[in-house]
Amino acid sequence: MSRAIPKSVSKGVDWLTVWLYAVLVCIGILCIFMAEYNPATYTSSSFFQGQTNYSKQLLFAGLSVMVATFIILSDSKLYPAFANLLYVFGILLMLSVFVLGKDVNGSKSWIPLGGGFNLQPAELCKIFTALALSKYLSQLNMDFSKLQSQVIAGAIAMLPAAISVLQNETGLALVYLSFFIVMYREGLPGIILVIGFSFGALVVATLLVEKNLLAILLTLIAALIVFIFRRQIFTRKRWNILILIVSIWFVCVGIQRFIVPYIFNNVFECYQSQRIYSAVGKDYDCSQNIHSIRQEEATGKASIKPDDYNVRQSKIAIGSGGFLGKGFLKGTQTRGRYVPEQSTDFIFTSLGEAFGFVGSFLFLAVYFILLLRIIFLAERQRSGFSRIYAYSVASILFFHIVVNVCMTIGLFPVIGIPLPLISYGGSSLLTFTIMIFIMIRLDADRQMVLR
Amino acid sequence: MEIKKDILWRVYLCFIVIAVICACIVGKAFYIQQVQGAYWRGMSDSMHTRIESVDAERGTIYSEDGQMLSTSIPQFDIYVDFKADGLIKDNGKVFKENIDSLSLCLANLFQDKTAIQYKAILNKGYKSKARYFALKKKVSFDEYQQLKTFPLVRLGKNKSGFIAEVQNIRLNPYQLLAFRTIGLERQNAQKVGLEQTYDTLLKGTPGKRLVRYISGGVAVPVNEDYDIEPKNGKDIVTTLDSRIQEIAENALMKMMVQNEAEHGCAIVMEVKTGKIKAIANLGRQNDGSYWEDFNYAMSPGEPGSTFKLATMLAVLEDKKFNLGSIVNLEGGTWQVHRRTVYDSEQHGQTNVTVKRAFELSSNVGMAKLAYASYANKPSQFINHLKALHLDTLTGIDLYGERSPFVDRPGSKYWSATTLPWMAFGYNVLVSPLHICMLYNAVANDGVMMRPYLLNSVMQEGNVIQQKQPYSIETICDSVTLKQLQECLVGVCKDSGATAFRLFKGATYSVAGKTGTALVANGKHGYADHIYQSSFAGYFPADNPQYTCVVVIKNKPHAAKFYGALVAGPVFREIADRLVTLNAPQPDVKFASINAGDNENYSYAGYEDDIKSILSTINISYKDSAKTTLAKMYNKQDKPVLTNMPLSNKYMPALKGLGLKDALYICEDAGLVVKVNGVGKVANQSITEGTPIEKGQQIKLDLN
Repeated sequence: MSRAIPKSVSKGVDWLTVWLYAVLVCIGILCIFMAEYNPATYTSSSFFQGQTNYSKQLLFAGLSVMVATFIILSDSKLYPAFANLLYVFGILLMLSVFVLGKDVNGSKSWIPLGGGFNLQPAELCKIFTALALSKYLSQLNMDFSKLQSQVIAGAIAMLPAAISVLQNETGLALVYLSFFIVMYREGLPGIILVIGFSFGALVVATLLVEKNLLAILLTLIAALIVFIFRRQIFTRKRWNILILIVSIWFVCVGIQRFIVPYIFNNVFECYQSQRIYSAVGKDYDCSQNIHSIRQEEATGKASIKPDDYNVRQSKIAIGSGGFLGKGFLKGTQTRGRYVPEQSTDFIFTSLGEAFGFVGSFLFLAVYFILLLRIIFLAERQRSGFSRIYAYSVASILFFHIVVNVCMTIGLFPVIGIPLPLISYGGSSLLTFTIMIFIMIRLDADRQMVLR
Repeated sequence: MEIKKDILWRVYLCFIVIAVICACIVGKAFYIQQVQGAYWRGMSDSMHTRIESVDAERGTIYSEDGQMLSTSIPQFDIYVDFKADGLIKDNGKVFKENIDSLSLCLANLFQDKTAIQYKAILNKGYKSKARYFALKKKVSFDEYQQLKTFPLVRLGKNKSGFIAEVQNIRLNPYQLLAFRTIGLERQNAQKVGLEQTYDTLLKGTPGKRLVRYISGGVAVPVNEDYDIEPKNGKDIVTTLDSRIQEIAENALMKMMVQNEAEHGCAIVMEVKTGKIKAIANLGRQNDGSYWEDFNYAMSPGEPGSTFKLATMLAVLEDKKFNLGSIVNLEGGTWQVHRRTVYDSEQHGQTNVTVKRAFELSSNVGMAKLAYASYANKPSQFINHLKALHLDTLTGIDLYGERSPFVDRPGSKYWSATTLPWMAFGYNVLVSPLHICMLYNAVANDGVMMRPYLLNSVMQEGNVIQQKQPYSIETICDSVTLKQLQECLVGVCKDSGATAFRLFKGATYSVAGKTGTALVANGKHGYADHIYQSSFAGYFPADNPQYTCVVVIKNKPHAAKFYGALVAGPVFREIADRLVTLNAPQPDVKFASINAGDNENYSYAGYEDDIKSILSTINISYKDSAKTTLAKMYNKQDKPVLTNMPLSNKYMPALKGLGLKDALYICEDAGLVVKVNGVGKVANQSITEGTPIEKGQQIKLDLN
């Protein structure tokens, strides 16, 4: 392959990343094939007729190769130059969904392109946001320790997320949280992440532990901390530490007693609460949910209790794979079409069932190597723009992979985000292709300083 | 250096977090696949393979004469899958080509909607793309066979999308006949009657089959070695006789309708065995019609005068009186313990024999006999009732029998007047079936037989269990028995006795007893003048074959309420027809219809048919027929068509008719037809013009 492309162009291209990318795309097509395979209608030509999802994915893969080649041939300077403009374009595209949008599975976030193809701007906007954030953070006079810069950077990342939420695509909106990892690398105070994770831990604890017991535990922890700092507080009379501890305790108990139940009952829809509860292995009582109560009043019918059918089927598929798997095209769960959305969000199950633990492990290893490679690439950049961009790519990929895989094995609530390069879907595949190949292009020019 | 250190620290942290999360994922995947693997694999198998139960066929209930009383027949619910591959192929080409002819065929077959309506329904279903569109439910087997030949449907399930769901429903071919006794077999509801009593025999054992579900919800059997074949239910043959049942049911129905009675029952029991040959239960419905809605024959009530037989038995058995003893009837009213016993009318009679008192059905007489015999020792009388098993269930093999009630001295309901009132059938609750059992014992030379309904159990046509009659005990010595029989015969034979007029002109002798009881109506007490008329007896008295009990509860203030006037005629009709039915049939002399000379002919049939045949073979004829059925005979070498009048009251001439037409006419008139030979009707056993009655038997000779 390297011979086909003139030396001057391919110079500096990181071929390991390209190979990893190619392997993943191939695995993706294979997985979709396993999920869609129908012995009654299958012929070897069905790969090329564009009727089935795997042949469509093959088509997208071909398109991706073209786009990738085009990006490799382009000039690195283009990206920092057009970053802000593209960001504005992306935001406009997302807003245009409200006018041109089309409903797909309950989320109005798609623009129909004709010929049965749809574009999801929120996917595409991840690239533009990554570019814009890199551009902003790599400014010469940037001092990221300032609150103002932190807020602006946060706003750049969160604006598309907010629009996504309005489009009913909560899953995609969550992806934008991964930019905080990038910002952390660039100097965002660790305390923000600590607070964020603590909040998450508290929510999970609220769901898992009985509320009075948790309140007592929190009080005990607070008392313990006061006991540890007793000399500082009481002997040195530093009362502000005591006040801090007490107020943190107060906020925690408040969150646990009131805010979490409020969010679950009044903000989330019943199915969302149920998904989060079932991820920690609990059952949610929908009769407390304001949305389902309203719906019951409106329709006069008792709302149907959402089921964790997807996750159960997905666990059955993965679990029944065992150590070595059932073999290629031998997965009953896959062949019987028991797993909903198997060729998109739950694609990991077809792999898990057919190739078992070994297959899943090797597959995740490929991802892991890709991620480490991207971080390695990031750290060897001379220009801040390239580094930050590479970090963005790594963070987004990481977030997608973790959330998707965790969702299929029941570690995380069901959120409809695709597995990068594997899941069926042109928007997703093209977005990740563009994202990765821009990074490869920037990396090829790592000796250059880009602004 | 500080900055570099900070950044390195941050990068390492990122690495660590990524590594930890990856480890978590791999760990969880390992946990699911290895630790829980067996569980999920089992779950997966259980989702794909399942043990399905295969329904066993429920047995049939037969009458003793071999008629099906209740049987299972398949019924089909027709659904359409409008997304079947064949239907949606080529933009619904097959569907569009066939819809018109299919609608027409459906309309012709079911006759419930026009072709246009059917077309609209099909189009609507097609537009909605329903996968399980209910087209028509409860389609019979014959209709289903026809449906399978229709356009589109005949292409098969995959191409037409037509799905037929079979279910077995229970059918009572005789509808009303013994409906309550045969009972109901319903899904999701309590069974009743014989269906309930013999459910374990009838239902069989459902089989099991291991099936695997493949894509599209289709189940295929996995391994036939594990299959357990369903064991079909056994058939049961009841003691019921469809002819006797029909006679009893019709006779009862006629009187019920005529007298607008509330409910009634008629029981026919075979004397020697205790077999229940017929049991009719009719209750008035809200719309004024009658239906077998409740098992009145097994519901205890105050029996009234028919119970006097028990009193007589006690008194005679204990030798307190004999039939010739004199008892003073006091003209029809007698005060005892400040309550007055009334006879049903003020007859003014005073000193009569005990037998006469029974024949007149005098309450005063019976009360006096019992009072004189047992006032000091009422338990002795009660012991007689116990010995007659009037205080326990009859033991009939039918669920739902309720316990009778016989008061005992010392109970809180017992008073000084209990005994005298008991003597004429109050203050006790026994069911008509009980009375039947008692009278049957008298008929059967004192041997009390337990009534029963199950004759035998059959499996695949072979009798595997035959039930034997069960005699409970002998109720009294032969002297008493003779006296009792004499009394019962007297009731029906002696001039002035209650049932004397009823059996005037009967060709056989009857022994029986009328009964008229005032029935308490809830809180209204006895004020509503609701009478229960009954008649219990057996026939022929000299050689008893059947015991029959008829009990009818009249409407309030009914004009006719005496036992002899309401229940009696029902009894008489049943007895008349049973005697005829069982009479050794002498070779029936066919009423001769003048055959005339050989050149004469007489044919009959549908007028249109005859005409079309004659015109097809070019025979000129003279037409003077105006009825649907016509007769054709020879007159001056030319066929003449004339009217053939029909009536349900008089026997029409059937000569020359084909069997199909003859059967139609006869069965329409309610006759029971017996056929001999093939061809057209040559002779008929009931002469033309004779009055006919429903249920009468007619023999037809065909040549």
